[in-house]
Amino acid sequence: MIVFPGLIFSLITLLTAIWAERKIAAKIQMRFGPYYASKRIGGYFQLIADAIKFGLAEIIVPSNSIREFFILGPILITAFAFLPMAFIPVSQIPSSGSITSPYYRFFFDKFAGISLYQPIITPYSLLFIIAVASVVPILTVMTAWASNNRFSLISAIREGILTVAYDTLIIIALISMGIEYHTLDIASIVKTGVPGIIANPIAAFVFFVALLMGTARFPFDVAEADTELVTGAFTEYSGLLFVLSMAGPYLLTFVYSLVFATVFLGGWLPLMGIPGAILTVIKALIILFFSVFMRSVYGRYRIDQILRGGWKYFFPAALLALIIGMIGGIFL
Amino acid sequence: MTEEVEKILKGGLEVEIVPVEGELNVGPQHPGSGHMRIFVRLNGDIIEDVDLDVGYVHRSVEKLSENRNYIHLIPLIERPAILDSIHMNMAYIMAVEKILNVDVPPRALYLRSFAAEVNRIASHLYGMGIFGVFMGHSTAFMWGFGDREVWVEILQALTGARVTNSYILPGGVRRDITPVIMEMTEKAIKYTRRKLNDWKGIFVNNPNIKARTQNVGVMTKENAIRWGAVGPNLRASGVAFDVRKAEPYAAYDKLDFEIPVYKEGDAYARTLVRIEEIEQSMKMLEQIMREIPQGNILSDRFFKQIPPIRLKKWWEGQHRIVMPGYYASFRPPKGEAFARVEAGRGELAFYVISDGTAKPYRLRMITPSYRLIKVFRELAKGSRYADLVTIYGSLDYFPPEADR
Amino acid sequence: MKEYPKKENPFKLLGQHLEAIGTGLKYLVKPTRITLMYPEESMVLPTGYRGMIRLYKDVCIGCTLCAMVCPADAMKMVTEEGKKLPMINYGRCVFCGFCVDICPVDALKETGVHDAAFTNRRELIFDPDKFSQDFDQPPTMDKPVRKVRAKIDEKKGIVYEPDD
Ligand code: SF4
Ligand code: SF4
Repeated sequence: MIVFPGLIFSLITLLTAIWAERKIAAKIQMRFGPYYASKRIGGYFQLIADAIKFGLAEIIVPSNSIREFFILGPILITAFAFLPMAFIPVSQIPSSGSITSPYYRFFFDKFAGISLYQPIITPYSLLFIIAVASVVPILTVMTAWASNNRFSLISAIREGILTVAYDTLIIIALISMGIEYHTLDIASIVKTGVPGIIANPIAAFVFFVALLMGTARFPFDVAEADTELVTGAFTEYSGLLFVLSMAGPYLLTFVYSLVFATVFLGGWLPLMGIPGAILTVIKALIILFFSVFMRSVYGRYRIDQILRGGWKYFFPAALLALIIGMIGGIFL
Repeated sequence: MTEEVEKILKGGLEVEIVPVEGELNVGPQHPGSGHMRIFVRLNGDIIEDVDLDVGYVHRSVEKLSENRNYIHLIPLIERPAILDSIHMNMAYIMAVEKILNVDVPPRALYLRSFAAEVNRIASHLYGMGIFGVFMGHSTAFMWGFGDREVWVEILQALTGARVTNSYILPGGVRRDITPVIMEMTEKAIKYTRRKLNDWKGIFVNNPNIKARTQNVGVMTKENAIRWGAVGPNLRASGVAFDVRKAEPYAAYDKLDFEIPVYKEGDAYARTLVRIEEIEQSMKMLEQIMREIPQGNILSDRFFKQIPPIRLKKWWEGQHRIVMPGYYASFRPPKGEAFARVEAGRGELAFYVISDGTAKPYRLRMITPSYRLIKVFRELAKGSRYADLVTIYGSLDYFPPEADR
Repeated sequence: MKEYPKKENPFKLLGQHLEAIGTGLKYLVKPTRITLMYPEESMVLPTGYRGMIRLYKDVCIGCTLCAMVCPADAMKMVTEEGKKLPMINYGRCVFCGFCVDICPVDALKETGVHDAAFTNRRELIFDPDKFSQDFDQPPTMDKPVRKVRAKIDEKKGIVYEPDD
């Protein structure tokens, strides 16, 4: 009942994200982007056509790869990128007057004191999101290892080094929000009515940069770097597995965008119910579109430059965010 | 102890362990290799040595030249660097003209410079586009190709073809410039000046690109001379050498221009040199359009051989000359000649020996990219793996031109 | 000899980041596109464009100059009813236009057609009869094809204006 709308919804956002990426890049780059598949709606169906094409293509498994891990890799990546959505509240269920109101008691979050559109109610939603999402890079490394390709191996090393850098940033940024709002429950953070970007702008900035790093968006595309590593960990993939390996990072970007929208941008407030959910998604989509827009502005940094930036500039910034969080916590 | 480790390694994971040191085959089918195989020996992230396996697009131009008439060679000579074809064509024709001993009328010389500068802009934009996408900057890629289109359009209006222009003939050029083309050029200059500002905003001054290119692939002045670097790459290392100044050909002795020289010798300096050369080229184009003398565009010696009816129809009607039958199979006197020009990527030299028959006895072409093979190899040593493509792109190395 | 400035302060760096993003946004809001919407639009090439070539059979005097000058051996002479005529193999032609330029009686002409497709190699060889007809293969569409001309524009680079 909950998973299916979620799956369809994420499939649509996924297609929208890729479509938006291609359209935005095309606009900046003096061209039209996808167009012919459906002229009225700007070639949106091109993505579906591409997905079908990839889905029907043959899946080639290299003979000297670890077969099981090679096949499991992209599937698990997508699954683990999708799972954190279970902990993100998209909106609040009004106690009456909405078609979702009958579920009011069912999804009641007694810690925040409100009922939520959130499949799994827990007071530690921030922690769970971080925990589940941080499995993805490990799976990427596993995939790269399993495909036994030298480019993939280099990519795995880069991904491994990178993970340490950005996961720290994500965790510190979110923890500082947790300290500031005295809770690890996203719903409680939203309920206070103070968007995180006002309460702690530095944490918001650090989180956004870490989001770009963590999901291999430009300018931190080093692990996939196509001109250097031929899409890195996914060099050997084809067919449906390739679609999944592409989908994983995009889904993860969307998950982080949702977290950004709720924690830092005030989520569904001032609306409620279904309009509130739409507002949250719109906020998240803006973040998502902005992060894919980066592709047309930047090239990619080198891994050592990212690490230097991450540890030398963003890590102190994250600590500063933590201090701001502690100070801000006194007033909130 | 080592046995135990080996046992563990052999036990669970059936994948060959790649040591910290290892080899990597970049290309020939790789998004960042072009038409060649780069055999990289890595130590961690540092490149210990690279071997460039070139020759995938070898066309045997030099050998074929010994079996073709002089006129037949014009389209063939252009092929190695079709995006820089005017220069290829011009250097070859200059060598042939030296053997034939013909004088070229001044208007034709100006037109040669005009076409060459348009071609230089197009070639630099192309190079920057490739350079951009090597670093993942897709906008630079598309802009490079899109803005180049404007200049290609001018070449098309002038010569009748987009890239393989075959524009220059012994004794002159094939078509005259018209007021329409001048107007197009003026507009194109205005457009490119505007666009270069945006190029600076999104590409040249972008901190990301700066971080990737500054202090990457540094070539000192001494090394640049020792390794035989040419063109913008040489000038980015602080050597003020440009064939257009050192040994003026076409109309360059009458044109005012500066050659941008940078001291650093890294990838960023090379990019800046290219950007400034585009500006200089546009300045030259304006001067050419102002000062171009009236007159013929083909040497009188050949002009007189054109049938009068045709002359009336083509030269007076459409401002293009047609070829007299002489060209079909001419026999230059015995002799040899050397000619060089400053092509988009650097000095391009032709050496032609004639034994009095209709075919060259020997033709030698030394292309700028050919000289870059050595430079590329030396620069890549000791850099990071991610910088391989940056060095490649910043040198503007074009494999077909090197392989010939 | 010039040098570029090194060691820039963080604020300038931030400014350059913003400038880059701003340039991107500028083009996002006001895109300048130069794509030609082929096949709805089809380009009319300028006069003098070296496209496919046609022969005027009656004008030709059979002097073989065109076959001699052809660098790619695309032009060959055949004897038809006692008259020497050129035929062309478009599989070899490099569209250099030398043959057109050298023909003493202007029996050859450059057409502005270049977007043609053939299903096999034999069709690429035009015998004198086929060679002396106007050849055109407009894109097949159910709608009429708009003919446009490329113009250089100061602001947009290249614009396509309808040809009338
Ligand atoms: S255009 Fe050139 S290649 Fe083609 S037939 Fe004429 S001379 Fe030969
Ligand atoms: S050059 Fe002209 S006249 Fe001579 S054979 Fe060719 S087409 Fe005929």
